[in-house]
Amino acid sequence: MEPDVVSSEMLLPPVLPFKKVQMADKYPKGQARGRHWKHLKQILQAENYQSYGPDEPNYLNIETPPSMYPSKKFCDITGFEAPYVDPRTNLRYANPEVFKRIRMLPNEHVQRYLSLRNAAVILR
Amino acid sequence: MLKGPFAEAAMPSFVTRPQRQLDYRCFSSAIPIVIDNGGFNFRIGWAGESDPRVTFRNLVQRPRHRATAIVSNAGETVTIVGDHDPALMKYFDCTRSSYRSAFDNNVVYQFEIMEYVLDYGFERLGAEGPQVDHPILITECICNPVSSRSKMAELLFEIYGVPCIAFGVDAAFSYKMNQLHGICDEDGLAICSGFSTSHVVPFAKGEPVWEACCRTNVGGYHVTDNLKQLISLKYPYHSSSISWEKAEDLKLEHCHVASDYAAELQLFQKGAKEAEEKTRCWQLPWIPPTQEEMPSVEEIARKEAVKEKQGQRLRDMAAAKKSIRISELENELRVMEDLLLQLEDVDEDEAFSILSTTTFNSRQELESAIHKVTQSLRKAKGESCESEEKTDSSLAEKYPLIDVPDDILSPEQLKEKRKQVFLKTTSEGRLRAKQKRYEEELWREKQNQQDEEKRLENPELYLEELRAKYRELCEKVEQRKRLKTNGYHSNGNGNTSGGVGRGERLNAAQKERMRLLTTAAFDRGKGEDTFGARDEDWQLYKLISRDNDDENDSFEEDHAELTRIATRLQDIDPTFVAKSDMVPIQGITSELPWFRPRTIEDFQISIGIERFRCPEILFQPNMVGIDQAGLDEMAGVSLRRLTCADDDVKNKICSSILVLGGSSLFPGLDSRLEAGIRQIRPYLSPLRVVRALDPVLDAWRGAAAYAASLQFSTQTFSIQDYYDKGESGLKNYQIKYSL
Repeated sequence: MEPDVVSSEMLLPPVLPFKKVQMADKYPKGQARGRHWKHLKQILQAENYQSYGPDEPNYLNIETPPSMYPSKKFCDITGFEAPYVDPRTNLRYANPEVFKRIRMLPNEHVQRYLSLRNAAVILR
Repeated sequence: MLKGPFAEAAMPSFVTRPQRQLDYRCFSSAIPIVIDNGGFNFRIGWAGESDPRVTFRNLVQRPRHRATAIVSNAGETVTIVGDHDPALMKYFDCTRSSYRSAFDNNVVYQFEIMEYVLDYGFERLGAEGPQVDHPILITECICNPVSSRSKMAELLFEIYGVPCIAFGVDAAFSYKMNQLHGICDEDGLAICSGFSTSHVVPFAKGEPVWEACCRTNVGGYHVTDNLKQLISLKYPYHSSSISWEKAEDLKLEHCHVASDYAAELQLFQKGAKEAEEKTRCWQLPWIPPTQEEMPSVEEIARKEAVKEKQGQRLRDMAAAKKSIRISELENELRVMEDLLLQLEDVDEDEAFSILSTTTFNSRQELESAIHKVTQSLRKAKGESCESEEKTDSSLAEKYPLIDVPDDILSPEQLKEKRKQVFLKTTSEGRLRAKQKRYEEELWREKQNQQDEEKRLENPELYLEELRAKYRELCEKVEQRKRLKTNGYHSNGNGNTSGGVGRGERLNAAQKERMRLLTTAAFDRGKGEDTFGARDEDWQLYKLISRDNDDENDSFEEDHAELTRIATRLQDIDPTFVAKSDMVPIQGITSELPWFRPRTIEDFQISIGIERFRCPEILFQPNMVGIDQAGLDEMAGVSLRRLTCADDDVKNKICSSILVLGGSSLFPGLDSRLEAGIRQIRPYLSPLRVVRALDPVLDAWRGAAAYAASLQFSTQTFSIQDYYDKGESGLKNYQIKYSL
C-alpha cells in the first residue's frame, strides 16, 4: 500500500473488531449474489399501505399535491419567460435569437435540455 | 487532465477527512451514540456533546487498487467512504465504480452500502471491543417505510450488537433544538429543505403532527444537478471540468433565492447593468499558448547550412546521373554511327546480314534511331530541342500533301496524307490551347490588377466585401455538401425529430438511381426476365453509375472560386483563418469561432441567471418536471391538512415558522418564503419566518440533546423488543419528542 494512502486512512479496513459479522464473511468474495435490494418503488409497493387507516400518515400520502397555480413556462436555454414552443424539438424559447440557437443545437443537446425538465423522449 | 491548479480546484470546500477519535474507551456503555443519517452528510457523535465527532459525505466508492510497485494486493476492490482527496485517487481505478449512495430519494434502500457507511462511522468514532455496546439514536425520514426501518434495526442489532436503538426524524430534532433556544414556540411549522426532499412539518404542543406534514421530492441535489447540467450545456467544451462537486461548490458560494423571480428575470432579459453586476465569473485554469520563440541567428545559420548541404548532395547526385546517361547515350550513338558507316560500304545482301545481327530491321530504322538518340543526347546535355520551333516555322513544308486533292494520290500517299492531316490538327489544337492559356493569364492578371486598385482605394471596404463573398460562397458550398450528404450533423435540416422518411435519407444522386432501377424493373413487367438480352439494357448501368455531372461542374467552379478568395484573404488579412470543411456545428457555441486562438475569456464560465434560476426549483418544482407544489405552497397544504386546528392555532403556528435543512442556506430564502406564505394567509394575520440557529447541524444537536435526557431510555427499542415483536413492533414504534 502506498504510504500516503495509508497515512490518509481513506480506506475502510477489511476487518473491524467491533462487528459481529465481517463484511467478507457476509458477502463472500467471488460469489454472485444477484440483486439483494429493492428500489423505493418496490419497497413502497410491498408496504401494503392499503391496509392502513385513512388518517394514518405513510410515505405515499404525505406527498405534496401538484401546485394550485398554473405552472409558468420558462425558456429551456436562457431561463427567461417563454411564450413560444418549438414544435420540432418541443423546446420552449423566449425570443427569435434563442430559436435560431435551438435549431442549431445537436439532437443530443436538445434531449439533454428536455430531460432537465423531465420531458425528454425516452426510447425503450 | 490538467495538473497543478486544477487538482486543487477539484477539491471542493466541503470535503473533510475525519480523524479517528481516540477517547472511545472513556464513554460508558450507557452513553448513547447519536447518528444523523442525512442524505448528504453522515454525522456521528456522543449524546450530550455540542457537535458531532465525525462528519462525512454519505457516499461509498469501491474502486480497484491500481497496480504499482509497492502494492501487493493490486486489482483488489477497496472501499472508500465519504469524501476523499482527489490527489490520492490516482492510485485507484474508478472506471467501473462511481459514487454510490444508500438512499433512494430519502429512504435507505441499499443496506450493503449503509453497512459500509456505518462501519466507517463507528471506526472513525474509535469503536473498540467485540461489539458497539452503546444505545444508538439514528435519524430517519418522515414516515420511513417499515421494511427500511426494520432492515436498519436488523443491521444495528445483528451486525454491530447494539443493545437498543431509537429512530427519530431530523426535522423534529432540529425544531426541538430551536424551541429549546427560544427561536420558535411549541406550536409552529418546520420547513425543512434537505438534500433530496423537502418537508413541512407542523408542530402542536411541542409534538410533530405527522398527519399534516407534506413532502415534495425536490432538494439540494436537484439544485446542484440542475446547475451542473445548465452550465455544461452552456459550455459543452468545458463539461469535463464541471464536476458534480464543483457545481455543489458553486451553488454554496453563489446561488441565492430571488425575492421576485419574474422581476429578476426581466432584469436579465433586458440586459440591465445590475444584471451584469450580478453575473459571476469562474475562471478555469488557462495556460496561455506559448509564444513561438524566434530561433537565434546561429540556429538559423545552422539550419541553413544543413539545408544547403543536403541540397548540394542532391545536386551532385543529379549531376552524376546526368553524366552517366550522357556517356551511355554517346556510346550508343557511336556504335550506331559505326554501323551506319559499315552499311554505306557494302551492298544490299551483306547489309541485310549485318543488320540481322543487330536489333534493326532496315537502314531507315537505324537512321531514325540515331536521330532519336541524338535528340535525347541533346536534351540530356541541356541544349534546347529545336524540333518544335522547326515544326512551327515550316508548317507548309511539313505537310506537303494536305492541299493536294485525293484523286491524284497513290494509296500510300493517301495514307501519308491522312497522317499529316492528323498531325496538323493536333499541333494546331496544341497551339490554340496555348493561346487560350495565355489569354486567360492576361485576363486574370487584369482582374488582379483591378482587385489591387480597388483595395488601394478603400482597403476596409474591399476586405469587407471579400469576407462577405467568402462567407457567401462558404455557405453555398456547405449547403451543397449538406444536400449531398443530407446534413446529418445538425438538426437544421429537420431530419432528427420528425419522421425520417426514405426521401430524407437519400441524396439526389441516390434518388435518381433508385428511380432508374424501379422504372427498369417496372418496364420488364412480370414476365420472364429478359434483362441483358438486348445491348441497350446494359446502358442502364452507365446511367446509374453517373452522378449528376452538371451539378458537379458548378460545384467545382464554386470550390475553385472559394479557394481563390481564401488565398487572397490569407495574403491580405492577417486575422483570417480558413474555415475547415468539417467544422461541426456546435450548438449554441457556433457563434464562438473556435478557429481563432483561444483566449483567457474562453476559459471563463459566467453564471448570471443560474444563480437564482437553480434554487428557484425549490419554489417551482415544475421547472425540473416535478409536478408538486413548492416550499411556500407546501406550508399552505400543511395548514390545510391540520383539520383539527382552528384559526387561532393556525395563527399561532404561522407566527413560528422555522426554516431549516441544508438547502435553506440560500440567501433570501426566508424572506421569499415569508412573501409566499403571506399570500396564502388571511390579510393581516400574524406571520413570522425565522431561520434555524444552524440549519445544518441543529438536527444532530437536537438529537444529541434528546439522547442525553434522562427519559431517553424509555423511548428506545431494545434487542429484546426486536426479537419479541419483530417488524410489527417497529411499525408502531414512535418516540415522543417532548420529554
